[in-house]
Amino acid sequence: MKCLLLLLTLVSVSHAVSGPPLRVAAAYPYIADLVEKIGQRNVRVWALARGDYNPHVIIPRPSFIAHVRRADLLVISGAQLEIGWLPPILRQANNPYVQPGERGFLDLSRYVTLIDVPASVSREQGDIHPEGNPHFYLDPYNIPLLAKAIAEKLCEIDPSDALYYRSNLDEFVQRWNEKTKEWREKMKQLEQVAVVEYHKNYDYFLRRFGLPIVGTVEPLPGIPPTSKHIEHLESILESHRAQFILQDVYNPDDASRYLANKLGMKLIVLPHDVGAVRGVDDIFSLFDEIVRRLTQ
Amino acid sequence: MTDILFSAFLLSVVLLGIHSFFGIEIIKRGIIFTDLAIGQMAALGAGISILFFDGQYLYPLSLVFALFGGSLIAFASKRANSHEAFIGLLYAFGLSGVFIVLSKSYHGMETFQKLMASDILFTPLEEILKTAVIYSALGLFLFLVYGKSTGVVRDLIFFVTFAITVTSSVRLAGVLVVFALLVAPALAALKIQKGIQLINAWVIGVVINLLSIIVSYNFDFPTGYTLVFFHALLALVVSVAPVGRRKEIRPGT
Repeated sequence: MKCLLLLLTLVSVSHAVSGPPLRVAAAYPYIADLVEKIGQRNVRVWALARGDYNPHVIIPRPSFIAHVRRADLLVISGAQLEIGWLPPILRQANNPYVQPGERGFLDLSRYVTLIDVPASVSREQGDIHPEGNPHFYLDPYNIPLLAKAIAEKLCEIDPSDALYYRSNLDEFVQRWNEKTKEWREKMKQLEQVAVVEYHKNYDYFLRRFGLPIVGTVEPLPGIPPTSKHIEHLESILESHRAQFILQDVYNPDDASRYLANKLGMKLIVLPHDVGAVRGVDDIFSLFDEIVRRLTQ
Repeated sequence: MTDILFSAFLLSVVLLGIHSFFGIEIIKRGIIFTDLAIGQMAALGAGISILFFDGQYLYPLSLVFALFGGSLIAFASKRANSHEAFIGLLYAFGLSGVFIVLSKSYHGMETFQKLMASDILFTPLEEILKTAVIYSALGLFLFLVYGKSTGVVRDLIFFVTFAITVTSSVRLAGVLVVFALLVAPALAALKIQKGIQLINAWVIGVVINLLSIIVSYNFDFPTGYTLVFFHALLALVVSVAPVGRRKEIRPGT
Protein backbone atom coordinates (compact mmCIF):
# COMPACT_ATOMS: atom_id res chain seq x y z
CA MET A 1 0.00 0.00 0.00
CA LYS A 2 2.82 2.34 0.90
CA CYS A 3 4.47 1.50 -2.36
CA LEU A 4 1.31 2.29 -4.24
CA LEU A 5 0.93 5.61 -2.49
CA LEU A 6 4.49 6.48 -3.23
CA LEU A 7 3.98 5.56 -6.85
CA LEU A 8 0.84 7.66 -7.06
CA THR A 9 2.63 10.62 -5.54
CA LEU A 10 5.49 10.22 -7.97
CA VAL A 11 3.13 10.02 -10.91
CA SER A 12 1.20 13.08 -9.87
CA VAL A 13 4.41 15.01 -9.22
CA SER A 14 5.85 14.20 -12.62
CA HIS A 15 2.48 15.12 -14.09
CA ALA A 16 2.52 18.45 -12.38
CA VAL A 17 5.95 19.16 -13.76
CA SER A 18 5.46 18.33 -17.41
CA GLY A 19 1.68 18.27 -17.88
CA PRO A 20 -0.22 15.57 -19.74
CA PRO A 21 1.58 14.15 -22.78
CA LEU A 22 0.91 15.82 -26.12
CA ARG A 23 -1.29 13.68 -28.32
CA VAL A 24 0.23 13.37 -31.77
CA ALA A 25 -1.30 11.73 -34.83
CA ALA A 26 1.30 10.76 -37.46
CA ALA A 27 0.30 9.85 -41.01
CA TYR A 28 2.94 7.11 -41.38
CA PRO A 29 4.95 4.93 -38.95
CA TYR A 30 8.29 6.57 -39.82
CA ILE A 31 6.86 9.91 -38.67
CA ALA A 32 5.49 8.36 -35.48
CA ASP A 33 8.95 6.97 -34.72
CA LEU A 34 10.65 10.33 -35.28
CA VAL A 35 8.13 12.13 -33.07
CA GLU A 36 8.66 9.54 -30.33
CA LYS A 37 12.41 9.93 -30.56
CA ILE A 38 12.21 13.72 -30.17
CA GLY A 39 9.23 13.98 -27.81
CA GLN A 40 9.95 10.82 -25.78
CA ARG A 41 8.04 10.85 -22.48
CA ASN A 42 6.20 14.07 -23.37
CA VAL A 43 4.26 12.66 -26.32
CA ARG A 44 1.74 9.93 -27.06
CA VAL A 45 1.90 9.09 -30.73
CA TRP A 46 -0.43 7.17 -33.01
CA ALA A 47 0.58 6.19 -36.52
CA LEU A 48 -2.46 6.17 -38.78
CA ALA A 49 -1.29 4.16 -41.81
CA ARG A 50 0.52 0.85 -41.50
CA GLY A 51 4.05 0.58 -42.82
CA ASP A 52 3.49 -2.50 -44.96
CA TYR A 53 0.73 -0.95 -47.08
CA ASN A 54 0.91 1.14 -50.21
CA PRO A 55 1.32 4.64 -48.73
CA HIS A 56 -0.75 6.14 -51.57
CA VAL A 57 -3.76 3.94 -50.88
CA ILE A 58 -4.75 3.51 -47.23
CA ILE A 59 -8.07 1.98 -46.18
CA PRO A 60 -9.38 4.17 -43.36
CA ARG A 61 -10.64 2.78 -40.06
CA PRO A 62 -12.84 4.52 -37.46
CA SER A 63 -9.86 5.00 -35.11
CA PHE A 64 -8.18 7.30 -37.68
CA ILE A 65 -10.92 9.84 -37.12
CA ALA A 66 -10.78 9.36 -33.35
CA HIS A 67 -7.00 9.92 -33.22
CA VAL A 68 -7.07 13.00 -35.44
CA ARG A 69 -10.00 14.40 -33.47
CA ARG A 70 -8.20 14.09 -30.13
CA ALA A 71 -4.78 15.16 -31.44
CA ASP A 72 -2.86 18.23 -30.30
CA LEU A 73 -0.63 17.80 -33.33
CA LEU A 74 -0.99 16.13 -36.72
CA VAL A 75 2.21 15.42 -38.65
CA ILE A 76 1.92 14.47 -42.30
CA SER A 77 4.55 13.53 -44.84
CA GLY A 78 3.03 15.84 -47.43
CA ALA A 79 3.84 16.44 -51.10
CA GLN A 80 0.42 14.91 -51.73
CA LEU A 81 1.37 11.41 -50.56
CA GLU A 82 -1.75 11.41 -48.35
CA ILE A 83 -4.03 13.06 -50.90
CA GLY A 84 -5.92 9.84 -51.58
CA TRP A 85 -6.94 9.13 -47.98
CA LEU A 86 -6.28 11.85 -45.42
CA PRO A 87 -8.49 14.80 -46.54
CA PRO A 88 -11.83 13.15 -45.68
CA ILE A 89 -10.44 12.03 -42.31
CA LEU A 90 -9.30 15.57 -41.55
CA ARG A 91 -12.73 16.88 -42.50
CA GLN A 92 -14.70 14.33 -40.49
CA ALA A 93 -12.43 14.64 -37.45
CA ASN A 94 -13.46 18.30 -37.30
CA ASN A 95 -10.52 19.26 -35.06
CA PRO A 96 -9.80 22.98 -35.65
CA TYR A 97 -6.32 22.80 -34.07
CA VAL A 98 -4.80 20.42 -36.59
CA GLN A 99 -6.16 21.81 -39.86
CA PRO A 100 -3.54 22.79 -42.50
CA GLY A 101 -2.00 26.14 -41.61
CA GLU A 102 -2.91 25.88 -37.92
CA ARG A 103 -0.43 25.51 -35.08
CA GLY A 104 -1.17 21.82 -34.58
CA PHE A 105 -0.36 20.86 -38.17
CA LEU A 106 3.04 19.97 -39.58
CA ASP A 107 3.80 19.10 -43.21
CA LEU A 108 7.28 17.55 -43.33
CA SER A 109 7.70 17.93 -47.11
CA ARG A 110 8.13 21.69 -46.58
CA TYR A 111 11.50 21.15 -44.91
CA VAL A 112 13.31 19.26 -47.66
CA THR A 113 14.11 19.84 -51.32
CA LEU A 114 11.89 17.70 -53.52
CA ILE A 115 13.06 16.14 -56.77
CA ASP A 116 11.14 15.58 -60.02
CA VAL A 117 9.10 18.74 -59.55
CA PRO A 118 7.29 19.18 -62.87
CA ALA A 119 8.03 22.47 -64.66
CA SER A 120 4.42 22.77 -65.75
CA VAL A 121 1.43 20.95 -64.43
CA SER A 122 -0.79 19.38 -67.05
CA ARG A 123 -2.81 16.23 -67.11
CA GLU A 124 -0.79 14.45 -69.81
CA GLN A 125 2.47 15.13 -68.03
CA GLY A 126 1.14 13.59 -64.87
CA ASP A 127 0.18 16.02 -62.23
CA ILE A 128 -0.95 13.93 -59.35
CA HIS A 129 2.24 14.78 -57.49
CA PRO A 130 2.69 18.33 -58.81
CA GLU A 131 4.90 19.11 -55.80
CA GLY A 132 7.47 16.46 -56.77
CA ASN A 133 8.40 12.93 -55.71
CA PRO A 134 6.89 12.43 -52.22
CA HIS A 135 9.21 9.61 -51.07
CA PHE A 136 11.83 12.07 -49.73
CA TYR A 137 12.13 10.40 -46.31
CA LEU A 138 14.13 7.56 -47.83
CA ASP A 139 17.17 9.83 -48.16
CA PRO A 140 19.05 9.45 -44.84
CA TYR A 141 20.38 13.00 -45.23
CA ASN A 142 16.82 14.33 -45.10
CA ILE A 143 15.99 12.65 -41.79
CA PRO A 144 17.81 15.21 -39.54
CA LEU A 145 15.93 18.00 -41.34
CA LEU A 146 12.64 16.26 -40.58
CA ALA A 147 13.66 15.60 -36.98
CA LYS A 148 14.53 19.28 -36.59
CA ALA A 149 11.17 20.37 -38.03
CA ILE A 150 9.42 18.08 -35.54
CA ALA A 151 11.51 19.39 -32.63
CA GLU A 152 10.76 23.01 -33.57
CA LYS A 153 7.06 22.25 -33.77
CA LEU A 154 7.05 20.54 -30.36
CA CYS A 155 8.87 23.58 -28.90
CA GLU A 156 6.25 25.86 -30.43
CA ILE A 157 3.33 23.91 -28.98
CA ASP A 158 4.95 23.16 -25.64
CA PRO A 159 7.57 25.90 -25.03
CA SER A 160 8.00 25.00 -21.36
CA ASP A 161 9.92 21.87 -22.36
CA ALA A 162 11.83 23.34 -25.29
CA LEU A 163 15.20 22.47 -23.78
CA TYR A 164 14.18 18.85 -23.44
CA TYR A 165 13.13 18.59 -27.10
CA ARG A 166 16.29 20.31 -28.32
CA SER A 167 18.57 18.04 -26.31
CA ASN A 168 16.67 14.97 -27.59
CA LEU A 169 17.11 16.32 -31.12
CA ASP A 170 20.85 16.84 -30.64
CA GLU A 171 21.24 13.35 -29.28
CA PHE A 172 19.23 11.88 -32.17
CA VAL A 173 21.07 13.82 -34.86
CA GLN A 174 24.44 12.84 -33.44
CA ARG A 175 23.52 9.16 -33.43
CA TRP A 176 21.99 9.52 -36.89
CA ASN A 177 25.10 11.12 -38.37
CA GLU A 178 27.25 8.28 -37.06
CA LYS A 179 24.93 5.72 -38.62
CA THR A 180 24.85 7.67 -41.88
CA LYS A 181 28.64 7.46 -42.10
CA GLU A 182 28.37 3.72 -41.64
CA TRP A 183 25.71 3.42 -44.40
CA ARG A 184 27.73 5.65 -46.71
CA GLU A 185 30.77 3.40 -46.18
CA LYS A 186 28.80 0.27 -46.99
CA MET A 187 27.09 1.80 -50.03
CA LYS A 188 30.42 2.82 -51.62
CA GLN A 189 30.80 -0.59 -53.23
CA LEU A 190 27.56 0.00 -55.18
CA GLU A 191 28.46 3.38 -56.65
CA GLN A 192 27.63 3.55 -60.37
CA VAL A 193 25.75 0.23 -60.23
CA ALA A 194 22.71 0.70 -62.49
CA VAL A 195 19.36 -0.33 -61.05
CA VAL A 196 15.69 -0.35 -61.98
CA GLU A 197 12.83 0.14 -59.51
CA TYR A 198 9.20 -0.84 -59.66
CA HIS A 199 7.87 2.51 -58.43
CA LYS A 200 9.80 5.76 -57.93
CA ASN A 201 10.08 4.88 -54.24
CA TYR A 202 13.85 4.92 -53.74
CA ASP A 203 14.93 7.79 -56.03
CA TYR A 204 16.17 9.94 -53.15
CA PHE A 205 18.17 7.10 -51.63
CA LEU A 206 19.67 5.94 -54.93
CA ARG A 207 20.61 9.43 -56.05
CA ARG A 208 22.27 10.10 -52.72
CA PHE A 209 24.52 7.06 -53.02
CA GLY A 210 25.20 7.38 -56.73
CA LEU A 211 23.26 4.46 -58.17
CA PRO A 212 21.90 5.43 -61.62
CA ILE A 213 18.20 4.56 -62.10
CA VAL A 214 17.72 3.38 -65.68
CA GLY A 215 13.97 2.83 -65.57
CA THR A 216 10.87 1.83 -63.67
CA VAL A 217 8.85 -1.35 -64.08
CA GLU A 218 5.70 0.77 -63.98
CA PRO A 219 5.22 2.67 -67.27
CA LEU A 220 3.83 5.63 -65.28
CA PRO A 221 3.57 6.10 -61.52
CA GLY A 222 0.65 4.06 -60.25
CA ILE A 223 -0.01 2.27 -63.56
CA PRO A 224 0.58 -1.51 -63.74
CA PRO A 225 3.23 -2.67 -66.26
CA THR A 226 2.14 -3.20 -69.87
CA SER A 227 3.70 -5.66 -72.32
CA LYS A 228 5.05 -2.94 -74.60
CA HIS A 229 6.70 -1.16 -71.69
CA ILE A 230 8.33 -4.36 -70.39
CA GLU A 231 9.69 -5.05 -73.88
CA HIS A 232 11.11 -1.54 -74.05
CA LEU A 233 12.54 -1.87 -70.54
CA GLU A 234 14.29 -5.15 -71.43
CA SER A 235 16.34 -3.48 -74.13
CA ILE A 236 17.25 -0.58 -71.83
CA LEU A 237 18.31 -2.92 -69.04
CA GLU A 238 20.51 -4.95 -71.36
CA SER A 239 22.28 -1.95 -72.80
CA HIS A 240 22.82 -0.37 -69.37
CA ARG A 241 23.79 -3.64 -67.70
CA ALA A 242 21.49 -2.95 -64.77
CA GLN A 243 22.14 -5.32 -61.88
CA PHE A 244 19.24 -4.99 -59.49
CA ILE A 245 15.49 -4.69 -59.70
CA LEU A 246 14.18 -2.97 -56.59
CA GLN A 247 10.70 -3.94 -55.53
CA ASP A 248 8.56 -2.61 -52.71
CA VAL A 249 6.57 -4.90 -50.42
CA TYR A 250 3.07 -3.94 -51.58
CA ASN A 251 3.07 -3.95 -55.39
CA PRO A 252 2.73 -7.22 -57.34
CA ASP A 253 6.21 -8.53 -58.19
CA ASP A 254 5.34 -10.74 -61.20
CA ALA A 255 6.68 -8.31 -63.82
CA SER A 256 9.88 -7.71 -61.81
CA ARG A 257 10.32 -11.44 -61.28
CA TYR A 258 9.87 -12.06 -65.00
CA LEU A 259 12.52 -9.47 -65.88
CA ALA A 260 14.91 -10.72 -63.19
CA ASN A 261 14.67 -14.31 -64.43
CA LYS A 262 14.94 -13.44 -68.07
CA LEU A 263 17.89 -11.08 -67.77
CA GLY A 264 19.63 -12.77 -64.85
CA MET A 265 19.25 -9.75 -62.60
CA LYS A 266 18.85 -9.79 -58.85
CA LEU A 267 15.40 -8.94 -57.48
CA ILE A 268 15.63 -7.14 -54.13
CA VAL A 269 12.57 -6.38 -52.04
CA LEU A 270 13.17 -3.24 -49.98
CA PRO A 271 11.17 -1.86 -47.05
CA HIS A 272 9.83 1.67 -47.64
CA ASP A 273 8.65 2.53 -44.12
CA VAL A 274 8.95 1.43 -40.51
CA GLY A 275 7.05 -1.85 -40.18
CA ALA A 276 7.22 -2.75 -43.89
CA VAL A 277 9.16 -5.95 -43.16
CA ARG A 278 9.91 -7.93 -40.04
CA GLY A 279 12.67 -6.45 -37.90
CA VAL A 280 12.25 -2.91 -39.20
CA ASP A 281 10.77 -1.34 -36.09
CA ASP A 282 12.30 2.11 -36.12
CA ILE A 283 13.90 4.63 -38.45
CA PHE A 284 17.43 3.29 -37.77
CA SER A 285 16.58 -0.31 -38.56
CA LEU A 286 14.70 0.86 -41.69
CA PHE A 287 17.92 2.18 -43.23
CA ASP A 288 20.02 -0.63 -41.74
CA GLU A 289 17.77 -3.11 -43.52
CA ILE A 290 17.73 -1.23 -46.85
CA VAL A 291 21.53 -1.08 -46.86
CA ARG A 292 21.85 -4.71 -45.73
CA ARG A 293 19.54 -5.99 -48.46
CA LEU A 294 21.34 -3.98 -51.14
CA THR A 295 24.86 -4.91 -50.12
CA GLN A 296 24.54 -8.54 -49.12
CA MET B 1 -17.10 9.66 -32.19
CA THR B 2 -20.81 8.98 -31.87
CA ASP B 3 -21.62 11.68 -34.43
CA ILE B 4 -19.46 9.99 -37.09
CA LEU B 5 -20.91 6.57 -36.35
CA PHE B 6 -24.40 8.02 -36.28
CA SER B 7 -23.83 9.53 -39.75
CA ALA B 8 -22.57 6.21 -41.07
CA PHE B 9 -25.55 4.42 -39.55
CA LEU B 10 -27.98 7.01 -40.90
CA LEU B 11 -26.49 6.68 -44.39
CA SER B 12 -26.74 2.89 -44.25
CA VAL B 13 -30.42 3.20 -43.28
CA VAL B 14 -31.16 5.77 -46.00
CA LEU B 15 -29.56 3.49 -48.59
CA LEU B 16 -31.33 0.46 -47.20
CA GLY B 17 -34.75 2.09 -47.65
CA ILE B 18 -34.75 2.25 -51.42
CA HIS B 19 -32.26 -0.53 -52.11
CA SER B 20 -34.38 -3.13 -50.32
CA PHE B 21 -37.16 -2.41 -52.78
CA PHE B 22 -34.81 -2.78 -55.74
CA GLY B 23 -33.21 -5.83 -54.12
CA ILE B 24 -36.48 -7.70 -53.83
CA GLU B 25 -37.30 -6.80 -57.44
CA ILE B 26 -33.97 -7.88 -58.92
CA ILE B 27 -33.98 -11.18 -57.01
CA LYS B 28 -37.47 -11.89 -58.31
CA ARG B 29 -36.41 -10.93 -61.82
CA GLY B 30 -33.27 -13.04 -61.50
CA ILE B 31 -30.93 -10.20 -62.48
CA ILE B 32 -28.95 -9.87 -59.28
CA PHE B 33 -25.72 -8.63 -60.78
CA THR B 34 -27.47 -5.77 -62.52
CA ASP B 35 -26.36 -3.52 -59.68
CA LEU B 36 -22.68 -4.37 -60.11
CA ALA B 37 -22.91 -4.03 -63.88
CA ILE B 38 -24.64 -0.64 -63.70
CA GLY B 39 -22.26 0.51 -60.93
CA GLN B 40 -19.30 -0.47 -63.06
CA MET B 41 -20.69 1.33 -66.09
CA ALA B 42 -21.09 4.43 -63.91
CA ALA B 43 -17.45 3.98 -62.88
CA LEU B 44 -16.43 3.82 -66.54
CA GLY B 45 -18.20 7.15 -67.07
CA ALA B 46 -16.23 8.55 -64.11
CA GLY B 47 -12.97 7.21 -65.58
CA ILE B 48 -13.67 8.92 -68.89
CA SER B 49 -14.40 12.16 -67.07
CA ILE B 50 -11.02 11.88 -65.28
CA LEU B 51 -9.05 11.17 -68.44
CA PHE B 52 -10.64 13.69 -70.80
CA PHE B 53 -12.23 16.34 -68.60
CA ASP B 54 -9.98 16.43 -65.53
CA GLY B 55 -12.72 14.96 -63.37
CA GLN B 56 -15.33 17.50 -64.50
CA TYR B 57 -18.82 16.33 -65.50
CA LEU B 58 -18.18 13.25 -63.34
CA TYR B 59 -21.76 12.82 -62.19
CA PRO B 60 -23.52 13.47 -65.53
CA LEU B 61 -21.09 11.17 -67.38
CA SER B 62 -21.51 8.42 -64.77
CA LEU B 63 -25.25 8.78 -65.01
CA VAL B 64 -25.27 8.61 -68.82
CA PHE B 65 -23.20 5.42 -68.72
CA ALA B 66 -25.34 3.94 -65.94
CA LEU B 67 -28.53 4.69 -67.87
CA PHE B 68 -27.01 3.20 -71.01
CA GLY B 69 -26.05 0.05 -69.07
CA GLY B 70 -29.48 -0.12 -67.46
CA SER B 71 -31.32 0.13 -70.75
CA LEU B 72 -29.05 -2.49 -72.33
CA ILE B 73 -29.95 -4.88 -69.52
CA ALA B 74 -33.65 -4.03 -69.81
CA PHE B 75 -33.42 -4.82 -73.50
CA ALA B 76 -31.37 -8.00 -73.06
CA SER B 77 -33.50 -9.42 -70.25
CA LYS B 78 -36.45 -9.44 -72.65
CA ARG B 79 -34.52 -10.92 -75.56
CA ALA B 80 -31.85 -13.32 -74.48
CA ASN B 81 -32.36 -16.41 -72.33
CA SER B 82 -28.90 -16.11 -70.85
CA HIS B 83 -29.29 -12.59 -69.57
CA GLU B 84 -27.23 -13.32 -66.41
CA ALA B 85 -24.28 -14.05 -68.68
CA PHE B 86 -24.90 -10.78 -70.48
CA ILE B 87 -25.04 -8.84 -67.20
CA GLY B 88 -21.82 -10.50 -66.01
CA LEU B 89 -20.08 -9.54 -69.23
CA LEU B 90 -21.35 -5.98 -69.01
CA TYR B 91 -19.70 -5.82 -65.58
CA ALA B 92 -16.45 -7.19 -67.02
CA PHE B 93 -16.73 -4.67 -69.87
CA GLY B 94 -17.10 -1.76 -67.46
CA LEU B 95 -14.30 -2.96 -65.17
CA SER B 96 -11.77 -3.58 -67.91
CA GLY B 97 -12.82 -0.31 -69.55
CA VAL B 98 -11.94 1.58 -66.37
CA PHE B 99 -8.46 0.01 -66.29
CA ILE B 100 -7.84 0.75 -69.95
CA VAL B 101 -9.01 4.35 -69.67
CA LEU B 102 -7.01 5.01 -66.50
CA SER B 103 -3.86 3.37 -67.83
CA LYS B 104 -3.23 6.63 -69.68
CA SER B 105 -3.52 8.83 -66.62
CA TYR B 106 -0.69 9.16 -64.04
CA HIS B 107 -1.90 8.01 -60.63
CA GLY B 108 -5.31 7.85 -62.30
CA MET B 109 -6.35 5.00 -60.04
CA GLU B 110 -5.82 7.15 -56.96
CA THR B 111 -7.78 10.03 -58.43
CA PHE B 112 -10.44 7.56 -59.39
CA GLN B 113 -10.69 6.13 -55.90
CA LYS B 114 -10.72 9.60 -54.41
CA LEU B 115 -13.47 10.86 -56.70
CA MET B 116 -15.55 7.76 -56.31
CA ALA B 117 -15.34 8.52 -52.55
CA SER B 118 -16.57 5.12 -51.50
CA ASP B 119 -16.19 5.16 -47.77
CA ILE B 120 -19.28 5.17 -45.67
CA LEU B 121 -17.42 6.87 -42.80
CA PHE B 122 -16.78 10.04 -44.72
CA THR B 123 -20.12 11.19 -46.08
CA PRO B 124 -21.05 14.56 -44.57
CA LEU B 125 -24.39 14.78 -42.79
CA GLU B 126 -25.82 17.37 -45.26
CA GLU B 127 -25.14 14.97 -48.11
CA ILE B 128 -26.92 12.17 -46.27
CA LEU B 129 -29.97 14.32 -45.57
CA LYS B 130 -30.07 15.48 -49.20
CA THR B 131 -29.93 11.86 -50.33
CA ALA B 132 -32.70 10.94 -47.86
CA VAL B 133 -34.99 13.56 -49.41
CA ILE B 134 -34.19 12.51 -52.99
CA TYR B 135 -34.62 8.80 -52.28
CA SER B 136 -37.89 9.38 -50.41
CA ALA B 137 -39.24 11.24 -53.44
CA LEU B 138 -38.02 8.48 -55.73
CA GLY B 139 -39.54 5.86 -53.43
CA LEU B 140 -42.88 7.69 -53.37
CA PHE B 141 -42.83 7.91 -57.16
CA LEU B 142 -42.16 4.18 -57.43
CA PHE B 143 -44.88 3.42 -54.87
CA LEU B 144 -47.44 5.44 -56.81
CA VAL B 145 -46.49 4.63 -60.39
CA TYR B 146 -44.48 1.41 -60.59
CA GLY B 147 -47.20 -0.93 -59.23
CA LYS B 148 -49.75 0.33 -61.75
CA SER B 149 -47.56 0.29 -64.84
CA THR B 150 -47.10 -2.68 -67.13
CA GLY B 151 -44.86 -4.00 -69.91
CA VAL B 152 -42.16 -1.83 -71.44
CA VAL B 153 -43.09 1.25 -69.40
CA ARG B 154 -42.72 -0.74 -66.20
CA ASP B 155 -39.29 -2.00 -67.22
CA LEU B 156 -38.22 1.44 -68.32
CA ILE B 157 -39.29 3.02 -65.01
CA PHE B 158 -37.52 0.29 -63.11
CA PHE B 159 -34.18 0.48 -64.90
CA VAL B 160 -34.06 4.28 -65.10
CA THR B 161 -34.77 4.77 -61.39
CA PHE B 162 -32.42 1.92 -60.55
CA ALA B 163 -29.59 3.43 -62.60
CA ILE B 164 -30.06 6.84 -60.96
CA THR B 165 -30.09 5.29 -57.49
CA VAL B 166 -27.05 3.09 -58.01
CA THR B 167 -25.00 5.97 -59.47
CA SER B 168 -25.74 8.20 -56.47
CA SER B 169 -25.36 5.48 -53.85
CA VAL B 170 -22.04 4.17 -55.14
CA ARG B 171 -20.59 7.67 -54.82
CA LEU B 172 -21.62 7.79 -51.18
CA ALA B 173 -20.85 4.31 -49.95
CA GLY B 174 -18.89 2.40 -52.60
CA VAL B 175 -19.82 -0.46 -54.91
CA LEU B 176 -19.60 -3.32 -52.40
CA VAL B 177 -21.62 -1.69 -49.62
CA VAL B 178 -24.38 -0.82 -52.06
CA PHE B 179 -24.43 -4.36 -53.42
CA ALA B 180 -24.62 -5.87 -49.92
CA LEU B 181 -27.44 -3.56 -48.81
CA LEU B 182 -29.29 -4.29 -52.01
CA VAL B 183 -29.19 -8.06 -51.98
CA ALA B 184 -28.70 -9.40 -48.44
CA PRO B 185 -31.72 -7.96 -46.57
CA ALA B 186 -33.94 -8.65 -49.60
CA LEU B 187 -32.76 -12.25 -49.78
CA ALA B 188 -33.47 -12.76 -46.08
CA ALA B 189 -36.87 -11.08 -46.36
CA LEU B 190 -37.90 -13.32 -49.25
CA LYS B 191 -37.21 -16.35 -47.04
CA ILE B 192 -39.64 -15.18 -44.38
CA GLN B 193 -43.21 -16.23 -45.04
CA LYS B 194 -44.94 -13.72 -42.77
CA GLY B 195 -45.57 -10.00 -43.10
CA ILE B 196 -44.64 -7.55 -45.84
CA GLN B 197 -41.38 -8.35 -47.58
CA LEU B 198 -40.18 -4.75 -47.82
CA ILE B 199 -40.78 -4.09 -44.11
CA ASN B 200 -39.00 -7.32 -43.18
CA ALA B 201 -36.01 -6.33 -45.32
CA TRP B 202 -35.89 -2.95 -43.60
CA VAL B 203 -35.99 -4.40 -40.10
CA ILE B 204 -33.35 -7.03 -40.85
CA GLY B 205 -31.17 -4.48 -42.64
CA VAL B 206 -31.31 -1.91 -39.83
CA VAL B 207 -30.33 -4.55 -37.24
CA ILE B 208 -27.38 -5.73 -39.34
CA ASN B 209 -26.29 -2.15 -40.05
CA LEU B 210 -26.33 -1.27 -36.36
CA LEU B 211 -24.44 -4.43 -35.44
CA SER B 212 -21.81 -3.83 -38.16
CA ILE B 213 -21.16 -0.24 -37.15
CA ILE B 214 -20.82 -1.14 -33.47
CA VAL B 215 -18.43 -3.99 -34.28
CA SER B 216 -16.46 -1.80 -36.69
CA TYR B 217 -16.00 0.82 -33.99
CA ASN B 218 -15.16 -1.53 -31.14
CA PHE B 219 -12.67 -3.62 -33.07
CA ASP B 220 -11.50 -0.77 -35.31
CA PHE B 221 -12.31 -2.55 -38.57
CA PRO B 222 -12.87 -0.62 -41.84
CA THR B 223 -16.56 0.30 -41.58
CA GLY B 224 -17.60 -0.40 -45.17
CA TYR B 225 -16.05 -3.86 -45.26
CA THR B 226 -17.52 -4.78 -41.87
CA LEU B 227 -20.96 -3.87 -43.16
CA VAL B 228 -20.48 -5.97 -46.28
CA PHE B 229 -19.14 -8.87 -44.20
CA PHE B 230 -22.13 -9.03 -41.84
CA HIS B 231 -24.65 -8.65 -44.65
CA ALA B 232 -22.97 -11.45 -46.57
CA LEU B 233 -22.84 -13.55 -43.40
CA LEU B 234 -26.57 -12.98 -42.91
CA ALA B 235 -27.21 -14.19 -46.45
CA LEU B 236 -25.07 -17.28 -45.86
CA VAL B 237 -26.90 -18.13 -42.64
CA VAL B 238 -30.30 -17.56 -44.19
CA SER B 239 -29.54 -19.69 -47.22
CA VAL B 240 -28.74 -22.75 -45.08
CA ALA B 241 -31.42 -22.10 -42.43
CA PRO B 242 -34.44 -24.43 -42.55
CA VAL B 243 -37.06 -21.61 -42.58
CA GLY B 244 -38.81 -20.99 -45.86
CA ARG B 245 -37.60 -24.18 -47.55
CA ARG B 246 -41.05 -24.94 -48.84
CA LYS B 247 -41.28 -21.96 -51.10
CA GLU B 248 -38.11 -21.67 -53.13
CA ILE B 249 -37.34 -18.41 -54.87
CA ARG B 250 -37.50 -19.14 -58.55
CA PRO B 251 -35.35 -16.98 -60.78
CA GLY B 252 -37.03 -15.30 -63.68
CA THR B 253 -40.48 -15.03 -62.20
